[in-house]
Amino acid sequence: MTADEIRAYLEPRRHEFADPRSLVMPALKYAQTTRGHLSREDLDAVAEATGFTPSFVESVASFYDRLYTQPVGNRVVSVCITLSCMLRGSDEVWDHLCEKEGIDHHHGGTSADGRITIQEAQCLGYCDKAPCIQVDADETLGPFTPDSAAALVDELRAAPDPEEYWR
Amino acid sequence: MADYAPVDLTAENLVSFELNGEKVQAPAGTMLVDACHALGVEVPIFCYEPRIGPPVGACRMCLVEVEGMRGLQTACSTPVQPDMVVRTTSELATQGQESVLELLLANHPLDCPVCDKGGECPLQDRTFRFGPGKSRFHESKRHFLKPVELSSRIALDRERCISCFRCVRFSQEVAQDGQLTMQERGGRSEIATFSGDAYEARFTGNIIDVCPVGALTSIPYRFVARPWDVTNTPSVCGLCPVGCNTELTLREGVVRRVSGRDEPNYAVEEGWLCDVGRWAYDSADHTGRLHRAVVRDANGARETNMADALSAATLVLQRADGPVGILLGPAATVEEAAIALDLAGGALRGAVVARLGIPAGPLAPLRATRRAEMGDIDDAQTVIVVGGDPSLQQPVVELRLRKAALRRGARIVTVGSRRTGLADVAEHVDAAPGALHAAISDIAARIAASAEPVVLWDEAELAAEPAAADALATAIAANGAARQIELGQDPNGAGLRALGIPATGLRDALAAGRLGALITVHADPRSAPGRDAWDAALGDVPVVSVATHVDATTDRATVVLPSLTLWEQEGTLVSMTGRAQRVRRGADGPDGAAPGWEILIALGHYLGAPPAYRTPGAAFAAAAKAHPGLGGLTYDDMGTLGAPLPPPAADHLAGDAGESVAAGSAGLALVAVRDVHAGRAAQGSEALLAFHAPAAARVSAATAERARLTDGATARISSPHGEATLPVRVAPGLPDDAVFVALGTPGAAPESLLGPDRGPVRVELRP
Repeated sequence: MTADEIRAYLEPRRHEFADPRSLVMPALKYAQTTRGHLSREDLDAVAEATGFTPSFVESVASFYDRLYTQPVGNRVVSVCITLSCMLRGSDEVWDHLCEKEGIDHHHGGTSADGRITIQEAQCLGYCDKAPCIQVDADETLGPFTPDSAAALVDELRAAPDPEEYWR
Repeated sequence: MADYAPVDLTAENLVSFELNGEKVQAPAGTMLVDACHALGVEVPIFCYEPRIGPPVGACRMCLVEVEGMRGLQTACSTPVQPDMVVRTTSELATQGQESVLELLLANHPLDCPVCDKGGECPLQDRTFRFGPGKSRFHESKRHFLKPVELSSRIALDRERCISCFRCVRFSQEVAQDGQLTMQERGGRSEIATFSGDAYEARFTGNIIDVCPVGALTSIPYRFVARPWDVTNTPSVCGLCPVGCNTELTLREGVVRRVSGRDEPNYAVEEGWLCDVGRWAYDSADHTGRLHRAVVRDANGARETNMADALSAATLVLQRADGPVGILLGPAATVEEAAIALDLAGGALRGAVVARLGIPAGPLAPLRATRRAEMGDIDDAQTVIVVGGDPSLQQPVVELRLRKAALRRGARIVTVGSRRTGLADVAEHVDAAPGALHAAISDIAARIAASAEPVVLWDEAELAAEPAAADALATAIAANGAARQIELGQDPNGAGLRALGIPATGLRDALAAGRLGALITVHADPRSAPGRDAWDAALGDVPVVSVATHVDATTDRATVVLPSLTLWEQEGTLVSMTGRAQRVRRGADGPDGAAPGWEILIALGHYLGAPPAYRTPGAAFAAAAKAHPGLGGLTYDDMGTLGAPLPPPAADHLAGDAGESVAAGSAGLALVAVRDVHAGRAAQGSEALLAFHAPAAARVSAATAERARLTDGATARISSPHGEATLPVRVAPGLPDDAVFVALGTPGAAPESLLGPDRGPVRVELRP
């Protein structure tokens, strides 16, 4: 993504942010929508559009779980592992999905075909639907059993990719 | 590492409080850590570094108990208040300190025996003094690939990092290069640059000094020595006239490291060094170092020992057809110069002594105005930089100006022909190259309108424009509260001037055939500005050269006496602000070489009229008696931090004026910059490989196009003084119709284009 595209996106939103630093986050989220992750060029473009150094922009991007500085799958599946979900069986959901996609149980990761990334999420605020799952930045869904979660992943794999990767 | 800010316990606004049961006093507003340190109570710290900026309280190491305040307080961010009751050694405080250390050590590897910092590591020291002795952590520590190269000069071991943020804050707030940041979060936090790029900037080495653990280490110093194998000697950097106070780390007679001092000189460098000053020490031994004396005769050159060469030199000087000339180089020490003057009054009666530099006459009124020291920039609300580019020529000045701009919102104004290294913090007043006079009324108005401005002025550019120099002097004097700092060219220019040594006279005497021989002391007139004129003046006059490295003058000298560098010999340098500071003996140097002062004293002995002293200290004492410019100082007065010399009178060296050559208006203006990054020390240093670049003539795109030159093409440049051939570099931010060259780069000769007495020059640029 180019600095001009990012500027065009930020311009109508600029008034919402009192501190120019706050623009870095929406700029990063938007810059991520073309590739699904932030390349060196994307970070450079965000730096140029916001007026901060590339190094600072990268430090912000590296802080947040949903901003990716390495390539991830076309769809990112976040499994909530905080207390309510854990008590309602998120461990089993997590293990089942990792097993199914052949992903490291400790850290999550991306399936071999590059389609699906499974990652842990802290409380998503859907304790009433525990254990819950959020796909990209879409609405959070639940409750899941290991099997229904696997069905969701199959459905995602079969579905066409979104036009923009909002994560 | 300075660690604690200096506290003046004799100040007037003292407040009383209780510290560990004793009634004590400290100035109001002082941070508790600093007050405790000044009062002899150690409060451990890691992240606190007063030179970097306000406290951040990141490491929590400085926890102390303050009666009436809930929990424990961080002493680094708690100011002293009247009647507060502080306990730094109570059970609660001790518990807090132990717990913090236990947490800091949770991920810190216990690899002290193989860590380069071991033995001089604040974390190690404070763990012994304040730590719990035992850790309850059984879990595995975090692991990273180690070490990674943060740059070609700095190694980063992320496992050892305790996330104190000192290096990041240095990069962001002191050097303001914006390159270092903390990436990731929590236990995965690591110091990093953008996408793992190399951390290349002008002041990167300071992060090694501020790192309180072994995370950041100097690659050239890695595994070279242990703290208990070395001796540390306070000295002064002799690469530029700022006169940064350094500490030389010596092992087995070799300088292995140069670093900022633990107790910095706040009047000069504040503990920060530029990368050239820090790493160029290895250039002392690079190719071309003179290891043995050389005597040249009809049969060619032969190497010999010092005694033999001194005899040969004596013969040359005794048989000289006329008086002798003694030419002192820009970094010749006060002692060497004083002994040269004594020779001229004794053994070599009638000798003409001069320095290789810019004539002082045109600048005499300006130098006589009220002088400031570098530390005074900290109090100024307005700083005006007239000409030059301190970032390249006197690098550490840049950090002072950045501090003034960022921390106190001081107004920085640069006046000159190009974007300087300060462009992001300074307001710029444009003046065409060689036309500062056009901006001088604007500058004068700004000086008049400011309360206590500090004016920094470039020696070379103002010497070329005497009218502008006079006008600037008038404006500074008119303000009453204004002070000035000279951005000088020569590491000891001020010291040589204090002895009354002019830059002019010697070459004319040579050219007129009045001199029978020439002694050069760390001077290479055949590579200096105006080298063609020097060459012509030299003719076939025999030369005795006291030099450290092979150069154009030693190549033709009849006798070459190998001398020691400023990392190896004793002496005194006077900084551009007039502070006399001692250079201490560091490395042993080559066996066949001797200190310059010793060679000159020996010459006196060989010539049959020895001076009355045998040591540099005694030579300085004699000089201080003989020359009022030295203000009667002694080595004791100078101590480790130096002492200011009395300011020169308005007519001091007023007659030291070169030929004034009108430059005319045809051709392009030549701007010659003494860039320390391009000089021999930096270019000859293996550690500073990142700065190695071939000499070039830098021009704007339009100028290159008009001369039908492209980037990288070879240009023939000619001036009334001579010719040079250099590759062209098209660079942004340069004015049109001007050519920028750096002086002192080995193998290049833009010096041919300049006149020996400097002054404005215009050149032709051809493919």
